[in-house]
Amino acid sequence: MTLLIAALVSGIGLGSMYGLIALGFQITYSVSQTVNFAQGSVVMLGAVLGYVFIERLGMNWMIAYPLAVLCCGGFGMLVEVLLVRPFVERNSEAWLMATVAGGIFLDNAVLFTFGNEPRTLASSLTQSTWQFAGTGIYPQQVLIPIAAVGVALALHFLFRKTLQGRALLAVVQNGQAARLMGINTTAMVSGSFALSAMLAGGAGLLIAPLLSVHSDMGTLFGLKAFAVAILGGMTSASGVMLAGFIYGLVEALVTTYFGSSSTYIIVFALLILALTWKPDGLFGRPAVKKV
Amino acid sequence: MRTSRFLPQMTRRALMSGVVGLSVAISLPALAADTVKIGLVAALSGQSAKSGQAITRGLTIAIDEINANGGVLGKPIELVSRDDESNPGKGLVAARELVQREGVAALIGGLDTPVSFAIVPFANQAKVPFVGPWAAGTGITKNGAEENYIFRVSAVDEYVDEAITEYLIANHGVKKPGMILINNPWGESNEKGLTKALEKRGMETAGIEKFESNDVDVVPQLTRLKENGADSLFVVANVAPTAQVIKSLDRMGWDVPLASHWGPAGGRFTELAGKSGEKLHFIQTYLFVEGDEKGDAMFAKLQAAFPEIETTADVTPATGIANAYDSMLLLAAAIEKAGSTDGPAIRQAMYEIENIEGLIKTYADPFSPDNQDAIGPEDYVFAHFVEGQIIPVK
Amino acid sequence: MLNFMSRTGLDLSILALTVGGLILTLASGGYIQFVMGLVALTTVLCVGLNVLYGLTGLVSLGQVGFFAIGAYTSGILLLNGVSFWLVLPAAGFVAGVAGCLLAIPAVRMAGPFLAMVTIAFAFIVEHGAVEWRSMTGGQNGLMGFPMPEIGSYVLSETDLVLFSICLAGLSLYLCRRLADSGWGMAMTGIRDAEIAASSLGYKPFVVKLAAFAIAAAMAGLAGALFTPLMMFIAPSNFPFSQSILFLFAVLIGGAGSVLGPLAGALVTVLLPEFLSGLAEYRLLFFGALLVGVLLIAPRGLVGSVAAYLPKPGRKILPKSAADIETLLAGYPKPDKLEIENLGISFGGVRAVDSVSLSLPAGAVTSIIGPNGAGKTTILNMISGFYKPTDGNILLSGKALSGLPAFEAARSGIARTYQTTKLFENMSVVANVISGLSRGRLGQPLAKVESAENLALAAGLLRYCGYMGDFDKRAGDLPHVDRRLVEIARALAMKPGVLLLDEPAAGLMRADKDQLAVILRKIADLGLAVVLVEHDMELVMGISDRIQAVDAGKPIAFGTPAEIQANETVIAAYLGDGSAPALPRKGQLETVQTPVLSTLKLTAGYGAAPVLKDVSVKVRPGEMVALLGANGAGKSTFLSALSGLHRPVEGSIILNDDPVHTLAPHDLVGRGLVLVPEGRQVFPELTVLENIELGAYKRRKAMSGDEIDALLARFPRLKDRLHSRAGLLSGGEQQMMAIARGLMGRPSVLLLDEPSLGLAPAMINELYAILGELRDDGITILLVDQMASLALSVADYGYVLEQGRIVMEGPAKDLIADERLTAAYLGGGETADRREAVQ
Repeated sequence: MTLLIAALVSGIGLGSMYGLIALGFQITYSVSQTVNFAQGSVVMLGAVLGYVFIERLGMNWMIAYPLAVLCCGGFGMLVEVLLVRPFVERNSEAWLMATVAGGIFLDNAVLFTFGNEPRTLASSLTQSTWQFAGTGIYPQQVLIPIAAVGVALALHFLFRKTLQGRALLAVVQNGQAARLMGINTTAMVSGSFALSAMLAGGAGLLIAPLLSVHSDMGTLFGLKAFAVAILGGMTSASGVMLAGFIYGLVEALVTTYFGSSSTYIIVFALLILALTWKPDGLFGRPAVKKV
Repeated sequence: MRTSRFLPQMTRRALMSGVVGLSVAISLPALAADTVKIGLVAALSGQSAKSGQAITRGLTIAIDEINANGGVLGKPIELVSRDDESNPGKGLVAARELVQREGVAALIGGLDTPVSFAIVPFANQAKVPFVGPWAAGTGITKNGAEENYIFRVSAVDEYVDEAITEYLIANHGVKKPGMILINNPWGESNEKGLTKALEKRGMETAGIEKFESNDVDVVPQLTRLKENGADSLFVVANVAPTAQVIKSLDRMGWDVPLASHWGPAGGRFTELAGKSGEKLHFIQTYLFVEGDEKGDAMFAKLQAAFPEIETTADVTPATGIANAYDSMLLLAAAIEKAGSTDGPAIRQAMYEIENIEGLIKTYADPFSPDNQDAIGPEDYVFAHFVEGQIIPVK
Repeated sequence: MLNFMSRTGLDLSILALTVGGLILTLASGGYIQFVMGLVALTTVLCVGLNVLYGLTGLVSLGQVGFFAIGAYTSGILLLNGVSFWLVLPAAGFVAGVAGCLLAIPAVRMAGPFLAMVTIAFAFIVEHGAVEWRSMTGGQNGLMGFPMPEIGSYVLSETDLVLFSICLAGLSLYLCRRLADSGWGMAMTGIRDAEIAASSLGYKPFVVKLAAFAIAAAMAGLAGALFTPLMMFIAPSNFPFSQSILFLFAVLIGGAGSVLGPLAGALVTVLLPEFLSGLAEYRLLFFGALLVGVLLIAPRGLVGSVAAYLPKPGRKILPKSAADIETLLAGYPKPDKLEIENLGISFGGVRAVDSVSLSLPAGAVTSIIGPNGAGKTTILNMISGFYKPTDGNILLSGKALSGLPAFEAARSGIARTYQTTKLFENMSVVANVISGLSRGRLGQPLAKVESAENLALAAGLLRYCGYMGDFDKRAGDLPHVDRRLVEIARALAMKPGVLLLDEPAAGLMRADKDQLAVILRKIADLGLAVVLVEHDMELVMGISDRIQAVDAGKPIAFGTPAEIQANETVIAAYLGDGSAPALPRKGQLETVQTPVLSTLKLTAGYGAAPVLKDVSVKVRPGEMVALLGANGAGKSTFLSALSGLHRPVEGSIILNDDPVHTLAPHDLVGRGLVLVPEGRQVFPELTVLENIELGAYKRRKAMSGDEIDALLARFPRLKDRLHSRAGLLSGGEQQMMAIARGLMGRPSVLLLDEPSLGLAPAMINELYAILGELRDDGITILLVDQMASLALSVADYGYVLEQGRIVMEGPAKDLIADERLTAAYLGGGETADRREAVQ
């Protein structure tokens, strides 16, 4: 029982985190059919900037966190302009490689500027634990799913209720018609990359107090989040969020009951099976065959 | 077929220029022979960058000292570094490049056990001495080669596992320890060593749990160990993952005796793990202790060479620095003794050098064909963190 | 297809490079030779990946998994004393089988989904190697492999490298052969246009599976070589990042080019070596350099170099027209294709409803009807792309309905597409050759462009009227030629039934006439020709029977004369005669200075201009109609005006400013708003949200009054304001689209085909609203294929034909002009006939 609860707590926390990062993939993919494969590195960038702003520059977290997220957004925009757009314009798929290379570059640039030592981004929410059904939970672990779902809902609200948000949805649903409404689709694509990176950076800040901050902390997050985005089907935000929870829970349950050495093998095998069963993802819409 | 006549011409030209370009690139660096080159193959980027840096620092100090005293064979020592990215393939390529293109007299390095394993057969075949200042995999030095060119100035997993098992039994009287190990070659090597140590004593383990270096949460694994009745834990992982174990234990409210390999010494462990990190006892081959003359001198030199160093917290892992420093001293002594940079001669000299004053200890007779490890269990120290400083236990 | 260089030239370069590699290895030794070995085995792997990604267009980020499988198979077998010469094929085989197993789910997936499955596979292999310790030695790997032996001679490392180089050369050569074979053709075809490939009889599943298996087996072979060369293997030799590097090698070398993998292997193996002196900074520079190389050579190194090399010329002697006719007449054909009560529904909408039709051999049967009537859907069911909801399709009594496209094709059904689906990256003649085999792949290494095939394909091309270069890249062809090549390709299948979907769209009159002759001849040779076409002159001229459909239902069947006389058909085309005339209330008050004008506007796609010197004026408050048959260039004209189509020649003047370089979003800001063809609503947004987006440029929330005013104009939208736009009926969507356009407060409103696909009652309602808008002083440029309807509200009209303005004048003059009817229902002769009938 304790085992199960521990697994559930861990799974929900991680799952919401994967979902949040995966939303970033979903957003850019919906808008532009491209993704930023440096997404994992942006998770790291968010955490590193948070650390630098708070611990080295002594900023208040109320300033430091939003600033870190904004910087990540700027980086996302840079990725779009430098590493995605030039290739998309030439009808090349090399943006895939270029964003991967961008991630390698960022990881190593951080390694040399930030340092090679793991550091801690302290949070008052990891100083004590709440005891609950035989296991302990950091308040931060409770905050993460709440924050993730909150961000997802806020995004939903942003998309449905603000003009710019709806403009983004319009680009997703019909790019050409959106241009005819006067929407600058190029700017929207940039914006979606910025938003995507802000989600990743925010996720990095949320997760950092539970982990340590170092230059390659994001790689696996990026990869798992991509798996989640694919599992969710890439098209629906709620599907991706849900897939995040499913992935997180399955991962935690597998680790708990089979041991972590088989986690990747079992989880990825299940992923392949799931995609065999539903080639467009669990919650994706099958692409209409156009003849 | 106008074009087919044109094409081979093009290709020929391309090929020629390629060949010329390649050979220029290849031949350029190999010429200068007014230094004695020592090659370093280690993980300088990625997760292990910190440890790679420690090795580089130890070697740099040693080389500076040696060169200040006239070098070896009348020539200064030059360090040539290569990044292996923890990938054995890249490590082997780098080792070959250092030996066959740079013409190094000896190799130092191999942070990760598999990288060392990849280099071992090549080093033996090429007859180039290879000194390991880090990787603790038992089979690296005990590789079964007739002419063994592999030496080590570092801990050996099998001995470490023996030592930490003994430590838990002696100090806590444990009966059923559990293992929580990082899922990498190092973890696997210690799984073998610890299992062997327990079998030797007729003890059973509460379980062997692995975790990944980026796992946020180790509670599931620890809970399994707890439910299986573990009365103590062996921890084998680097600094950040070990901190994850401590934090997970904290959350579970499980206070259990802990003994660890040297992983936590690699950085600001207590910053990451919190106050509870002080409960973890781990093994060291060397640590900077206040008031120790040799250590203070070394620290001063490090500060001079690397201005970014402020406190002893900045010179972690001390073990890496000390091992690398001593490796270099031993190697330089052997080269001097051999009177040449010829591999077999250096190897022979390695067995002959005596009473070398190192940082860890004075090496009376560091190597023999039966024991290519300069450091043994008697040199291990148990330590723990207190106020951010590594202090010997007791 | 790899047409960049001649075959012989390529083969000789491969040979020269191989020999060069061997010499360099023998001359260098040591480290260089070892690196050469790495280049060689990377080349072997990348050749396989090139077949998968370059030829077939499938991304795999899991090649390192197959590489590892090969390496471990090799390592384990070698340690168990199996001879290297058995180990090598065994490793390739095991990896190939793994590739097939992975491909079974993977080939059904697209883009990122496929990438993820392959990533997952690579991770499973890596972690499997860690966990399966009894076999793989776990994290610490395997070592101590015996070197390969020949007899009693033990190979040295040099020998092994020499062998690897030979193998790399061989694999480059075999890849060249494969690319030139029927297999390579099928792979390229599936990459360029999977739909077209399956309607030529190719089975995409089998071809993709083969590509996967080849790529996996090659990776396995490379792995088998890696083991003895490295002398040590461990899971950390096979990190996921290595997969990315392999794909990078193929991309940077030039995906699809024969020598690309070698160039890529050289870059990815040597670049890190050159950077090795940078030690810990290596990856930093490597990351930056990767981006740099990609930016400099987006088509890959070999592709970029090949662009500067002269292309080989060859002489192809086409078969004579007589030979082609003998051929087409000579093979057995089914006597008829029968359709019984065919119907299909998409999400509850009846797209086609109980259509029955007999399509006899030796006759041209045409299917006509307004846009959206379901004509193409019928073709799609016959050719196997859609599964009919009910009804039967029988080919000489054999049931076809529900069979996949490649089965239909193999039964002898060939087709062309509304928007041509050529294999863009193949030559023209290769496109036609790809049809010859009806999907049989042939020997994997047999040259598919044999002299016989070339002559036949060229003959077919000439027979269909293609007069251009046979070796031209199909993607570079002008519009007309694309159509002709597609017909030739369909004929190459020796089909019994030929389905043509708007073959004349966008063709000039002379080309259409030529096409008519060809199609008639084809039918006379005994094929059943089925024609879906808007050009009535063509249809009326060559058809034996015509089936008219509207809104998915058959409305008339008969000879051309019968159809032309049929009142229902005339109504469907020219608009319902019952529509009330909508004369302007009061006089048009305007000024001479136009609000929007074009001067000698010329625009097009690729080589051929679709619009030529079009000059149009729209004055303030005026409603101008632009008329013309399908494919006349009306939509292109509106795209050019609205900024969607760039660049254009000539000028567009809006409110005295030249705007022909501006993007759509800028033009909207300047008051030029297009309501596009097909409504283009945002289906997931509510009606209100859609409408609000129309005011996007104003950046201000709309007032309640404004919405009320709009709803007064479009009362139908009142109840639907908060439902999703996608759920609206076509008419409601059209109303909404116009309302959305009005929200931009346009100085000119462009309407593209507003009546398209609407029921007559709805059309009348819509036009009543357009009349009101006109009377309220809104300036409108209207394009509608219902000519009489459009002229009933317009003040002035232009008629566009073949991309030129052929007629203009006040609406009331145009509506009386017989030539206009002619433009819609066929030439002058037809118009006379129609008059006679009436």
